[in-house]
Amino acid sequence: MNEQQIHSKITSVETDVLKAVKQRTLDKFTDGPSVLRARLFFLILPFFDNKMWSTDIERSAKTVSIVYAALQAHDLVENDVLADKKQQLTVLAGDFYSGIYYKMLAETNNIAMIQRLATAIIKVSEKKASFYSSEIRSMDEIDEAIKQIETELLFSFYNFYGYQEYSHLAVLMLTYNRYTSELDCLQKDGQSLALRKMTQTLRHPLQTERWLLDKLDSLYEEILQTIGTHNFSYELKNFMLHQITPHQHRAEQLTREG
Amino acid sequence: MEKVKMKLLYSDLKPELDLIEKELEQAVDSESPLLNDASLHLLQAGGKRIRPVFVLLAGKFGTYNIDVMKQVAVPLELIHMASLVHDDVIDDSEMRRGQLTVKAEWNNSVAMYTGDFILGRALEYITDIDSPRLHQVLSQTMIEVCRGEIIQIEDKYKLDQNLRDYLRRIKRKTALLISSSCELGAMVAGADEKTIAHLRRFGYFIGMSFQIIDDILDFTSSDEELGKPAGSDFIQGNITLPILYARNNPEIYRLLKDSLQKELTDAERLHIVKVIRDSSAIDDAKKVSEKYLNKALGELDHLPKGQASKTMRKIAFFIGKRKF
Repeated sequence: MNEQQIHSKITSVETDVLKAVKQRTLDKFTDGPSVLRARLFFLILPFFDNKMWSTDIERSAKTVSIVYAALQAHDLVENDVLADKKQQLTVLAGDFYSGIYYKMLAETNNIAMIQRLATAIIKVSEKKASFYSSEIRSMDEIDEAIKQIETELLFSFYNFYGYQEYSHLAVLMLTYNRYTSELDCLQKDGQSLALRKMTQTLRHPLQTERWLLDKLDSLYEEILQTIGTHNFSYELKNFMLHQITPHQHRAEQLTREG
Repeated sequence: MEKVKMKLLYSDLKPELDLIEKELEQAVDSESPLLNDASLHLLQAGGKRIRPVFVLLAGKFGTYNIDVMKQVAVPLELIHMASLVHDDVIDDSEMRRGQLTVKAEWNNSVAMYTGDFILGRALEYITDIDSPRLHQVLSQTMIEVCRGEIIQIEDKYKLDQNLRDYLRRIKRKTALLISSSCELGAMVAGADEKTIAHLRRFGYFIGMSFQIIDDILDFTSSDEELGKPAGSDFIQGNITLPILYARNNPEIYRLLKDSLQKELTDAERLHIVKVIRDSSAIDDAKKVSEKYLNKALGELDHLPKGQASKTMRKIAFFIGKRKF
């Protein structure tokens, strides 16, 4: 399977997911479901790597993506603002997507998977809430929480179908993507819950930027090593390497520092 | 007081309901102290526990085993709780049942995570039951409840909507989950198909009546009785049955139309509440509620007589007459 075919497959699954959660009013007034292609890639990775795959497994993979979209919608609900139509419908979008995930798995009698995902939803919600309490203080704790938020749902899928061999690589790459977004946000003077917590801990945005850059560098090295240990096809390895861009942010920092 | 009266109606279920209450507390136990506090805050605000009650009562028409029944009763109440905590974010509500909402006590994000957490617990709990049919019914209900709320937002501030729009909305918003409580309770108890169907319809009709009464009480109860300002639904742009009837008077129509286009002072809010309360709209709305109530009672006529049927009948009558 070449890179183009990998892209096509991801697009096809993405289209199915978007179709499953389509709702006229939600599509019109909210930002729509967030379906990250990087996550979809990891959900379909066993298929790309010629592991056991079926329409039922693919359906499960799609529901995992829907649950991510549900929880992501609720992350977009803002504090300290009046509930306008967009905010109200964003709340309902998350609930609606959760209902769709439940229904899709109930239709194929995959009750065990519904339960696994429910447990993952609990853990992710607990971790997200921890950003609003004093439970996490150190950067290591923040890092652990982010890893869990990014991968818990995916791991419930991997563990259920016996695809744990991809877990380590997935955590590295999905965390890499997350920190890349956080760095982007920081460098554009934006804010996020994670950035606020990091800057609280490190005491200055510049320290947060440095921490993120160092983290991305070390993750990049580890990703390269880990890809090397897998017996992936040449095309699959290439595809993954093209998903990470190691020096862009460092360049941004250097430019600003003159 | 009314809540106490209502609970007296199903006092014969008290040991089982106490067990359900304990299970609910355990179910919301969380590793996150924040979610633990927020969930308990919500749980301890109380509620009529009408959904678990209907699950248990419906179970009496089959082979009743509390250990099986609680597997449906607990998650249905959790699903209801999860929707309440999210609804308070949607409605920007500061108070519920006389106490601060989760969003007011903490913030919107904590309310979102609390709702997601409670929903997760509900699904984790109910998936111990290996019945595809049960899960298909419940998941479809959850989707319809959301659709009902989406429609409610679409229909906000639209004074010219019709009765059908309103009924379609409350069916999804309230009646379906009560209907499913009866249906699923009967289903897990192994009741026969006809009984399940009668109970499903009973729940649907009672749910419709219940919501209409709720909408009436928004105008006829005091702020203290409601635990929130009277007329809140209207202030938020929700066009409920009393409003649909009251607008037939051209003078009231103009008042309502103007009121929907501005932010109301407290005096203006109380004036509207009084106008509606004094109009014939309340009686007209009560008549619709009674129609649904009678239909619910009609469904009970098809079921075997016994304590469960008697309690359901008493609850139905109470719902029709409750004061808040």
